[in-house]
Amino acid sequence: MNQIKTVFGYTFRDAVRKKAFIISTIIIFILILVLTMIPRIINTFEDDNTDNYVGYTCYYIDEKELISGAKETLASSLPGIVIEEGSADKISEYNNLLQENKNLALITITEKDGLPFITITTGDFMSSVPSEMISETLTKVYVTNTLNKLGYNETAIETAQIELPYTMTFTGGMNFSGYTVGILLTMLIFFAIYYYGYGVSMSVATEKTSRVMETLVVSAKPSRILIGKCLGMGAVGLLQFSGIIAFSAICIKALIPEDFLIMGMPISFSAFTIKSALLVLLYFILGYSLYSVMNSVCGASVSKIEDLNSAMMPVMLISLISFYFGYVAAVSGSDGLLTKIAMLLPFSSPFIMPFKLLNGSVATVDIILSIVLLIIFIIIFAYISIRIYSASVLNYGKKQKLWALYKTKL
Amino acid sequence: MGLHIKNMIKSFGSNIAVNDISFSMEKPGVFGLIGTNGAGKTTCIRTILGIMSADSGKAEWNEKKISRENLSFGYMPEERGIYMKTKVLEQLVYFGTLRGMSKTDAKKSALDYMERLGVSEYRDVPAEKLSKGNQQKVQLITTLIHNPELIFLDEPFSGLDPVNTNTLNNLIHELVLEKRFVVMSSHQMSTVEEYCEDILMLHKGKSVLQGNLKEIKKGYGHTNLIISCEQDIALYANEAGLELISRRADESEYRITGDEMAQSFLKKLINEGIFPIKYIVKEPSLNEIFIQKVGE
Repeated sequence: MNQIKTVFGYTFRDAVRKKAFIISTIIIFILILVLTMIPRIINTFEDDNTDNYVGYTCYYIDEKELISGAKETLASSLPGIVIEEGSADKISEYNNLLQENKNLALITITEKDGLPFITITTGDFMSSVPSEMISETLTKVYVTNTLNKLGYNETAIETAQIELPYTMTFTGGMNFSGYTVGILLTMLIFFAIYYYGYGVSMSVATEKTSRVMETLVVSAKPSRILIGKCLGMGAVGLLQFSGIIAFSAICIKALIPEDFLIMGMPISFSAFTIKSALLVLLYFILGYSLYSVMNSVCGASVSKIEDLNSAMMPVMLISLISFYFGYVAAVSGSDGLLTKIAMLLPFSSPFIMPFKLLNGSVATVDIILSIVLLIIFIIIFAYISIRIYSASVLNYGKKQKLWALYKTKL
Repeated sequence: MGLHIKNMIKSFGSNIAVNDISFSMEKPGVFGLIGTNGAGKTTCIRTILGIMSADSGKAEWNEKKISRENLSFGYMPEERGIYMKTKVLEQLVYFGTLRGMSKTDAKKSALDYMERLGVSEYRDVPAEKLSKGNQQKVQLITTLIHNPELIFLDEPFSGLDPVNTNTLNNLIHELVLEKRFVVMSSHQMSTVEEYCEDILMLHKGKSVLQGNLKEIKKGYGHTNLIISCEQDIALYANEAGLELISRRADESEYRITGDEMAQSFLKKLINEGIFPIKYIVKEPSLNEIFIQKVGE
């Protein structure tokens, strides 16, 4: 046990000090920060506050007075922007000015199919003139003028232009937030399992090819080295994974406005209960354990580090196929036979179950069954892996078949 | 008491790598395990230490089966392996704790050996920045850090320059003085001759010669004559039936049938007015015995 603890401690310390770990953690944290800042940025741009456009000038040309009073309404709706009366004769002159000055815009009203047609011209497509707000204001003025002419009173006109507020609610367990977070979590778990599984494989292969293994096996049984190494890398993965979840939670709480809507739906983490969070963590640990013991055999089977990628191919294929199987079954939303298989199959259950847990569509018996199957598979694969690993760590000659390694007397 | 190996057999499929090996080491010193490359030396050591399981036979230390669990032995593998990116002291402490030492004891012992081997200044330097010789010293410390009584050194001198060879020489002598049991595998016969009282010669997994080195040599009798003269004596040697083994800058070595042949050759030279500067009658070198045995 002490030797497992020693190998665990060394592997953990060695991995967290690596530049790859530090840089990848920083990049992920920056990405989380940027992603969670997006809603606030969107809200800022969606604000009606036109102070952001202070210094802008719009030339307004409506020679036929198709929308009467529009210039004045625009000036009052967009207080930061100067609205100047323009002349159709000077359009080419305005166009030249627009190319030189990005804070200029030209609004021309022409007639098309019996209705006013609004053209907003700016220097280039990067100009941030609030075109939507301008067109909405002009449309409102035109509708108001038309309804006035038809004899409707102010109240009727205002009522006609009311936009009713709306929101979407769902009767099922699946909601937009749960769906999005579920998919992100599925991907995160896959990448974490793949990345740290690769770490185990690389660590074993490096120790073998650099002959450190020769020194290690003198002190400890290969099985203890393997367990310590897998646990060490797993703890690194868990640390980073938990760090990502915790940092995301802090960023979401601090940066995403409470009233922020995506497609009319509020962001909700109601599916993230303590129970579901613990189960997600458990699936990550079990999924990682299963794939890491398989990856360790890949690392132990090579004599040259450049052979590692080809040695890892079978495990990589299993993990990729299982991930897509789990992912497709998750996003399809069905509860058919394939989804059931994906939920119970130990290779795919770590990818689909977190999604299902966050979307409230999984029976307790399925959770228990999938965990039991995962544990059974981990025990079987750990036993086989330890045998093959023990036989192959000191085998530098001709590459032996896995079966021959398994049958080697230890 | 001591190390006892009885009828050890280890095979890989149809290839018998260690074939019925038995030997004993009952008092501290250096035991030589010699053989050509691929003779089975490393497999023999790994099997003795329980790193590989034997097909049959016993390996006992003080009448107890040798294994990683019940004996804290030291083993320096032929293929050196240390963590290149890790600082020297840190990895030594790691290997020490893996041997069951506390961190404090491992650090103390590591620093002590680093001092003895002259690598103290590299304690906080990654191993990759050390010269090959110094890396080998670090490897040796990983073997000795837990002060084992039984030490296996697999080709300890390979790749060392004369200065580092001398340092290792001194350390091995110190280990012997400290009453440690050292089993040294080598195919450098001069090294084995210098240290080992007892030897076991392996060829294709089988023991072809074993026992006390002095006794073995004694059994061969006086077979070599080393002679150095100011005059050229090649013609006289040829006439006397001496077979030239090697001609060096200042001396020649001949194969003789016994003391009588050497004496009659000396008389002949003196009669011819030639007085040798050097005249040594000796047993065959281990290298000659080795070539003779392995070539058989």
